[in-house]
Amino acid sequence: MTDVPPVSIDADERPAFRNMSIVWVIPLAALVIALAVAWQSYNDRGPLISIEFSNGAGITARETDLRFRDVRVGVVEELQFSEGLQSVIARVRVEKEVAPFIDSAATFWVVQPELTAQGVSGLDTVLSGVFIEGSWDGEIGPPRDSFRGFATPPLYRPGEEGLQIALRSIPGGSLTDNTPILYRGIEVGRVGTARISERGNFAIAEAIIYDPHGRLITPSTRFWDTSGFSVSIGPAGAQVDFSSLASLVGGGITFDTFVSGGAPVGDGSVFEVFASDTDARNSVFNASEVEILEMRVIFDENISGLSLGAPVELSGLRIGSVENLSGIVDEDTYGDNRVRLSVVLGIQPARLGLSGDVTPEAALAFLGERVRNGLRARLASGNLLTGGLKVELVEVEDSPPAEIDVASGPVPEMPSTASEISDAAATVEGVFTRINSLPIEDLLISAISFLESAQSLLTSDDLRAAPQDLRALLGDIRGVVTSDSVTEIPVTLNTALTRLDMILAQIEQEQAVARILAAIDTATTAADTLGSSVEGLPRLVDQLGGVAEKAAALPLEELTAQITQILNSADDVLGAPAMQDLPLSLAGAFNALEATLSELRAGGAVANVNATLQSSRDAADAVALSTRDLPALVDRITEVFDQASATIAGYNKGEVVSRDAQAALRDISQAADAITALARLLERNPSALIRGR
Amino acid sequence: MERVEHTAKIVTARQLGLVACQRCQQVWPQEVDRCTRCGHRLVGRDRKSLQRVWAFWVIGLMCYVPANLYPMLQTRTFFYTQRDTIIGGAIELVHYGSYAVAAIILFASVAIPIGKFLAIAFLAVSVQRPSSVSKGQRQMLFEVVEYIGRWSMIDIFVVAILSSLVQLNVVVAIYPGPASLFFALSVIFTMLSAQAFDSRMIWDADDA
Repeated sequence: MTDVPPVSIDADERPAFRNMSIVWVIPLAALVIALAVAWQSYNDRGPLISIEFSNGAGITARETDLRFRDVRVGVVEELQFSEGLQSVIARVRVEKEVAPFIDSAATFWVVQPELTAQGVSGLDTVLSGVFIEGSWDGEIGPPRDSFRGFATPPLYRPGEEGLQIALRSIPGGSLTDNTPILYRGIEVGRVGTARISERGNFAIAEAIIYDPHGRLITPSTRFWDTSGFSVSIGPAGAQVDFSSLASLVGGGITFDTFVSGGAPVGDGSVFEVFASDTDARNSVFNASEVEILEMRVIFDENISGLSLGAPVELSGLRIGSVENLSGIVDEDTYGDNRVRLSVVLGIQPARLGLSGDVTPEAALAFLGERVRNGLRARLASGNLLTGGLKVELVEVEDSPPAEIDVASGPVPEMPSTASEISDAAATVEGVFTRINSLPIEDLLISAISFLESAQSLLTSDDLRAAPQDLRALLGDIRGVVTSDSVTEIPVTLNTALTRLDMILAQIEQEQAVARILAAIDTATTAADTLGSSVEGLPRLVDQLGGVAEKAAALPLEELTAQITQILNSADDVLGAPAMQDLPLSLAGAFNALEATLSELRAGGAVANVNATLQSSRDAADAVALSTRDLPALVDRITEVFDQASATIAGYNKGEVVSRDAQAALRDISQAADAITALARLLERNPSALIRGR
Repeated sequence: MERVEHTAKIVTARQLGLVACQRCQQVWPQEVDRCTRCGHRLVGRDRKSLQRVWAFWVIGLMCYVPANLYPMLQTRTFFYTQRDTIIGGAIELVHYGSYAVAAIILFASVAIPIGKFLAIAFLAVSVQRPSSVSKGQRQMLFEVVEYIGRWSMIDIFVVAILSSLVQLNVVVAIYPGPASLFFALSVIFTMLSAQAFDSRMIWDADDA
């Protein structure tokens, strides 16, 4: 009991690791496992994306799932407000495997229980709470971590194949959104959320036709609304039609292709939704496959009679219709606060007959070019009876330059011009007023009296005898002209002219011109004298002015009255019985003329003529003597004219004098012309000298 | 003969040159290396006892962290799923006004485990350096820790009973959360840690 060797607890000299208990492996393993798990969970953690919603809609942090094809792929980690409390941002931790697929094509929406006419959807969320459904395609795109979520499921889900089209309500029609598209009673597509167009004149909604039904849609396909029901009473009795209870309650759209053979359309086509299948059928041949071009026109006039659907015409061809009418008050643009008429025209590009692409853009470019050349819109009478108006596009000449205004609003604005409205009633009234004021009765009385006078004149025997006398007279004249004596005249004249030629040659040699020069000198002196004496002319002009004033003051009215009286007297004279004797006197005169001609023929007048020519030849000889120095004479005359011109230039101060002088010159010129004419007459007809004419 | 004087106070088997079998408590002379009654190996002092204590202690502590971070219970009712951690559940109970229940939960699931960690750590440290706490008090502390250790499993017990009983399919269902597993592990390892502690070492300290 006593010699117990001491047992040392810490008496080991073994190395430290040999001293280690094997049990340390367990915490080390636990540590390794914990670290591995932590690393793996961190490594497996997907990225955080934020989805912005307009409201929370039952999203709960750490509970609401993100699902893809109804499989959980993430969870909302955090729910917070955006800056300024504008929206709610859900931060979602998505799983790593799907995260790369969530690219810019991804869409998110909240799935909530929904009870509609088409059925119940999202019932499971009643128990589990809402979840966020995501949709994206199977291709990895550029990464994105911020998205905008929708409250309702989107129509197009990436990865869901289908033909994407747009449906548009016809003007005045309606479009129910979120309705199924049925074909032969089967749902083949869906209409999305409808929205109102920019100017509120129609509704447009995106729609999808699921594959493979997209091939049913061709450009000739027409859509129509099947919602509601129709009641018709015909020979077969009363009929109530509706396609299905669901479409009766919730609306529905169906379609059909009435014309076969069209190629299937591509994504993005726009179709109109008609009110009924009858309308849709009727529209097949109305080309409206292209989107219409809308143009705004402001008319200064506020004229009633223009209504929706009124025609729009270009050169008489209807190219569209009035789509919208409204008043507009724009003080900034027009400077006053008058109400103007704002008309929106819907122009069918197909009706313009454009070559190449038939698009609204092409139509706009075409009209823009025409506007530059003067094309303007104006209101015109469409219907005379009802007073309905239409809009005409006409080219106005000399119009101020204008362009289609594309910048000022969503719809390009076309310049307008003054309206041409024939107010039928007012015009007809004016015509009748004028007819009323015509002196028809006086006219008729005058006409009757005139006709009576004419009748009595024409029926007188003397007038009837006049043609016979005239014929006899003409016969006599022919006799005179064809007589031998007359035919000899040219020969004689020829010799006379030869003589005259010789005489003129003689004149040149003689000095008689010297005398003329002296005379002209005298004339020059006289002109000088005139120059000094015309200083008193202004006074003379004044006097003339006085005379003119007096003339102006003459009692012209009286004169006119007198003239009228004279004319009346002349009328009386014409109506006097003496006038009826006029034919008789005429006949007498003809007889006398005839007698004179006979005498002429008998009395040897031609011989006298010959004698006269002889005399004139002698006279010409005498003249020839005195015309020898003609060139000098001409020089002198020129000098005189120069002086006269200088003198006249001196009078330019007084315009009247100048005018008078010019008149004098004109007279001189006329006199010269007369002399020339006389010479020509003589040349052509020497016998005029003889006859004195 | 100074040892004899001490025996009046405390005489250890070791001082008498004996060693006790740790399985059947039969005392043998120190030369015997195997208990002839039960065949257990006789060890005067387990040299690696402290190492095992610390190893299990560390694992227990490691498990205690997720046990508090992860939800203990998943309560799925008709409309929503509620996940509660230990402390979160207690705080929620306080909000509902159930202070007593909250206090019990906090005591059983937070105070006792943490107290156990502290107690074991204190005991393990105190055998290696002088301590102001007397040997008798330390022995007492060890016995309390060993005794109370098994009751820590009451949390797991409650969770197990609840999740097996409350399974009304859609209406309400309770599932154990991941924390329950870690909590159980934590309790198990602290118990192992306490058991690994060789309480004889408390009395050896004075010899040094």
